[in-house]
Amino acid sequence: MAKRDEETAELSIWFFCGILMLAYGLVLVVTGITEIGHPPATVLAELQPTLCWGVVLTVFGAFYTIRFRPKHKWF
Amino acid sequence: MQVLAVVAMTGGQLTKLAPVDILILMLYFVLVVFIGFYAKGKANTSEDFFLAGREMTAWIAGLSFVSANLGSLELMGWAGAAYQYGILATHWYWIGAIPAMLFLGIVMMPFYYISKTHSVPGYLQLRFGEGARATSAVSFAVMTILMSGVNMYAMALVMKTVLGWNISFSIWIGAATVALYVMLGGLRSAIINEVLQFVLIWAGAAMIPILGLIEAGGWTNLKAQIAVNVGSSDYTHLWTTLGNFRDNPMGVHWTGIVFGLGFVISFGYWTTDFLVVQRVLSANNLRAAKMAPVIGAAFKMAVPLIVIVPGLLALSVLKNPDGSVMHLVGEDVARATGQHSYNEVLPLMLIRYCGPGLMGLGITALVAGFMSGMAGNVSAFSTVWTYDLYGAFINKKASDSHYVAMGRWSTVIGMLVSIGSAYLVMNAAGIMDYVQALFSFFIAPLFGTVILGMLWKRATHAGGFAGLLAGTVASIGMFAWVHSSPAALRYVAMSDAAKPMAENMYRALWSWVVCVVVTVVVSMMTKPVPMEQLAGLVYGVTPIPHDGSKTIWEKPIFWAVVVIVVFFILNLLFW
Repeated sequence: MAKRDEETAELSIWFFCGILMLAYGLVLVVTGITEIGHPPATVLAELQPTLCWGVVLTVFGAFYTIRFRPKHKWF
Repeated sequence: MQVLAVVAMTGGQLTKLAPVDILILMLYFVLVVFIGFYAKGKANTSEDFFLAGREMTAWIAGLSFVSANLGSLELMGWAGAAYQYGILATHWYWIGAIPAMLFLGIVMMPFYYISKTHSVPGYLQLRFGEGARATSAVSFAVMTILMSGVNMYAMALVMKTVLGWNISFSIWIGAATVALYVMLGGLRSAIINEVLQFVLIWAGAAMIPILGLIEAGGWTNLKAQIAVNVGSSDYTHLWTTLGNFRDNPMGVHWTGIVFGLGFVISFGYWTTDFLVVQRVLSANNLRAAKMAPVIGAAFKMAVPLIVIVPGLLALSVLKNPDGSVMHLVGEDVARATGQHSYNEVLPLMLIRYCGPGLMGLGITALVAGFMSGMAGNVSAFSTVWTYDLYGAFINKKASDSHYVAMGRWSTVIGMLVSIGSAYLVMNAAGIMDYVQALFSFFIAPLFGTVILGMLWKRATHAGGFAGLLAGTVASIGMFAWVHSSPAALRYVAMSDAAKPMAENMYRALWSWVVCVVVTVVVSMMTKPVPMEQLAGLVYGVTPIPHDGSKTIWEKPIFWAVVVIVVFFILNLLFW
């Protein structure tokens, strides 16, 4: 097997999952907040599903992003 | 057939994306391309490129393993099947997957892993010689390329139906993105994206059952509403209606479900289809290789929540503008009347509950599922082409870097051929049925050959090859018989009340039986393989190394028992 570049830190698969979910969570939270006064024409929109799901994804994404963040120099 | 029926969706554009939805989709594309470039730096050797360096943990290999079978074709097709046939569709996720996945992990994985084979055709070569490898490799390579093209066309057609996108635009954007990240990072890139897709699918689809069950008033109320709307309680029972072909909407019998689906089709697919087995071969040690399918099985049991439940919910909550119950119809009727078809269940439920943002997440999950399906097929094709065809028959003594370059080029060429097959399918939709049927021709006999090869020392090279060939010919023969004369189904399924869904199950069962009988008979008539050649390949002459687990919590068999107990409890709960 070829020798790995010691300076290149491993980016965990879970880190990729974390940052994507964190980004999506934040987008949904912002969208959900803007919908509070103007709910979309969907069933059960009064339960604020976009905002609630945004919070869930933000917490999930933040946990995985922090827990699996790269600890060395990237490139 | 359910799966491929998705691509026949018709009708007008269902919805359109808001700017926030496009932002969510763009974020996904940016990340997958970044992952491709990131993984390129770690794909220097053939082991890196084709088997992700055999560095994957049990969790990653396990999620990738289950995700490789969780494409959007499956999601949309089985949600439609749940609407059409009720909870019986769950059998494809439980008895049609869980026992086979556990069997792969506990019984078969040690042989695949310690033989250090790079592929399933590679194992066949070690056990049965070049003939069996060539037959298996050629059929697999052709099928993966065709399936990649079907995925491509299906994604384009769903995007056209749901969002009004141009078909060629979707095909080329999807293909270019997948080709880029698989060519750069090989299997590692495909695995990272499959794990990402698994998380995305849950993030994008979980709101449908959650909000749907709230709207329906819980599971008990949902069952009552379905019974009223369809006039039968058969749609919410897994087993009670399977005593007779006539008693259930699918027209199947429990013997077909247990032996045809639960044994032959399921074991054939999950233990010998290289597309899924390749993910487990990337595990970083024997314990991880045994645990990966067990972890995959645990997650697989949860998938009906986002696939089957939305289909059942649609039977209860979907209404016409006048408040009457909406009835979805088959593709032919939908095309003629402009109604929605069964296969539009998932998009319809997405539109029902998801506003801007959530809609983008759901659409991104579907796109990710389609692209992951293409990537899985094309990365498996690239491996089988390079190792089992090019490296075995064309250029046996090239350098390792040459094989990596061949892997990259075969990815690009494979994707171009897939694009060609996508356009072929677009112009001749009937081909899709045959593509799926072709897969089923090989899977059941292949399982017979591999399982006898692993468990029976006396199986010979000639026996294995003859059994594989005879089983495949028997499967093709039964398919041609039933398609040229539909009345023949009563003989294949052993009942005049059998419906087309039963055909696949019994055809698989008989072709497996033919394969096993021919393998046994020919093996007994030919010279046994010397024992020293079977070491590392066959049960009984192979010392299985300890997998390194110390405590009971680390033992794959313990977790396999936990999963199988939960599997039985779930079946009893929904009996």
